[in-house]
Amino acid sequence: MSESAFETAGLGKRFGATWALQDCTLRVPEGHVTALVGPNGAGKTTLLRLLVGLAAPSAGTIEVLGRAPDGSEEFLAGIGYLAQDVPLYRRLSADDHLALGAGLNSVWDGDGARQRLARLQVPTDRPVATLSGGQRAQVGLGLALAKRPQLLLLDEPVAALDPLARREFLAALSEAVGEGGLSVILSSHLLHDLERVCDHVILLSASRVQLCADIDSVLATHRMLLGPRRPLSEVEPGLTVITATQTQRQTRLLVRTDGPVLDPAWEEAEVGLEDVILAYMGNEHVGSDAARPRLELAQ
Amino acid sequence: MNFLVWRLHRNQVYFALAALAVLAVVLLVTGITMADDYRNALAGCAATQSCSDLGNELFRGDGAIIDLVNITIVVPLLFGLFWGAPLLAKEFEDGTHNLAWTQGVSRGRWLRVNLTWSLLAAAVWGAALGALVSWWRYPENALHTRFEAFDIQGIVPVAYAVFAVALGIAVGSVIRRVLPSLAVTLGIFLGLRAAIAFYLRPHYATPVTGHFPLFSSGAPPGAWILSSGLAGPAGTSVAPGIDFGGAGRTVGPCTKFLAGGPHSLGQCLSRHGFHQLVTYQPDSRFWAFQGMEAGIFLLLALGLVGFAWWWVRSRDA
Repeated sequence: MSESAFETAGLGKRFGATWALQDCTLRVPEGHVTALVGPNGAGKTTLLRLLVGLAAPSAGTIEVLGRAPDGSEEFLAGIGYLAQDVPLYRRLSADDHLALGAGLNSVWDGDGARQRLARLQVPTDRPVATLSGGQRAQVGLGLALAKRPQLLLLDEPVAALDPLARREFLAALSEAVGEGGLSVILSSHLLHDLERVCDHVILLSASRVQLCADIDSVLATHRMLLGPRRPLSEVEPGLTVITATQTQRQTRLLVRTDGPVLDPAWEEAEVGLEDVILAYMGNEHVGSDAARPRLELAQ
Repeated sequence: MNFLVWRLHRNQVYFALAALAVLAVVLLVTGITMADDYRNALAGCAATQSCSDLGNELFRGDGAIIDLVNITIVVPLLFGLFWGAPLLAKEFEDGTHNLAWTQGVSRGRWLRVNLTWSLLAAAVWGAALGALVSWWRYPENALHTRFEAFDIQGIVPVAYAVFAVALGIAVGSVIRRVLPSLAVTLGIFLGLRAAIAFYLRPHYATPVTGHFPLFSSGAPPGAWILSSGLAGPAGTSVAPGIDFGGAGRTVGPCTKFLAGGPHSLGQCLSRHGFHQLVTYQPDSRFWAFQGMEAGIFLLLALGLVGFAWWWVRSRDA
């Protein structure tokens, strides 16, 4: 088993009386590109801020790259973080930012970042306030990558971008991942984009982890079943029903199973990642706490 | 790290430098002229023995420039508002603390460098201002009292400036928004400065109480007069600001002189043991008072910096 990019146990974060993140036990191995998905307010930003040490947990433990996110310079050297809305010093240019980064980091690949920005034709001598959202996101990504981090954490980096800028951003990210040695966690509420670049998924909903798994195994263990209408109690024991849609004649189930579906009355259909994730999200809104199925797959 | 501070704040430094340069030029030019005038006037009045009137006559035409110098009282506050308050509040407001605090420099080091430079800059500018005004006010100080411009000369401008910046930083670290931080910094600074200047400063040392004859010049030159009034024969104070025209009850034996005007009334009162009762802080206490006031504000600044340090490092970013 490879080293973990990060591990949490019983992690929780409370703001006043509200838990933004609760009972979060996760482990993501190194070398993966992980999609952190969930509806707005699910705790995605909170989890990322805990992982980079900008916030301290109210409960539980975190280990990132084998050490606690304590804000020490040794810890900070290993991570690259791009916060939501790409915060940059508005009046400074990309060149200025790269110069700042060079002064603030012991390892810094400013030339690499400059070349990447030049290829994307992002002007590096103008105040970043004058750049487009997509260009600013590229500057932010360039800064995070110039640290040569082992773990890159990106908080909704494409949320505000138009489709073309989004594609360019994800392409730049894929390219960086392709160079190797990099684990990435990428939060988004846009499932569609992530499927292309991610091989791992964490689903947060209502401040809890609903799913943390390899995307391939998620797809392999979930089935869409279509069959004649019947009560859910008659579904065979090996299947865990995630969602059920009943019409007059038909029952449509999304189920999780480790083995084959035995009941011949069901017709099986393949599922996409988006179907599964929406099912778990939708589940949260209707289901009670106790009834909610969760998925914890072995790595 | 030092480069970061410079790159982000160099415009403020340029601006402050330009303002200080302009002020320096104005004060140097007028200061030299005024010092000449003062020396000439002193030589002239010594010949005619009329030097006691000098304070009322000299520099009458320089009202505007004197106002300008008096306005420098707000400079430390400006440092607090435009250097101190935005230092952290602007980072939080723009979210750039997320960027700054996830680079390879710990939050503690980032804070230490930023705080050090801001406070140092405030101290340097405060010192320059205090020195410039102290030099410029030399004739004015000789003519009147140094205490009347206590707040803009000597070493207190340094303490005020350092305090203002520390206050702005501390407020900004808690409020995390620039404009509300400015407003709160302004309110606290003005409130505290006024409270200390009006209620605490006169009591840094027990005032000297002096009895002086009527029609004498009273307290010694340069003294800061806290109160002055008429005292009766037994040394008891009579209501200050006595109305000679209608206060028959307090002037007892001299009532018959009331109709004769202040001068004849005064001569009568003197004969009956009435005199001036003055409480004052002598000129010699000026530097002790400066030291005490500067000490108070530097201690407050230290407390605020300590608070900001602890608060920023113990709270979530």
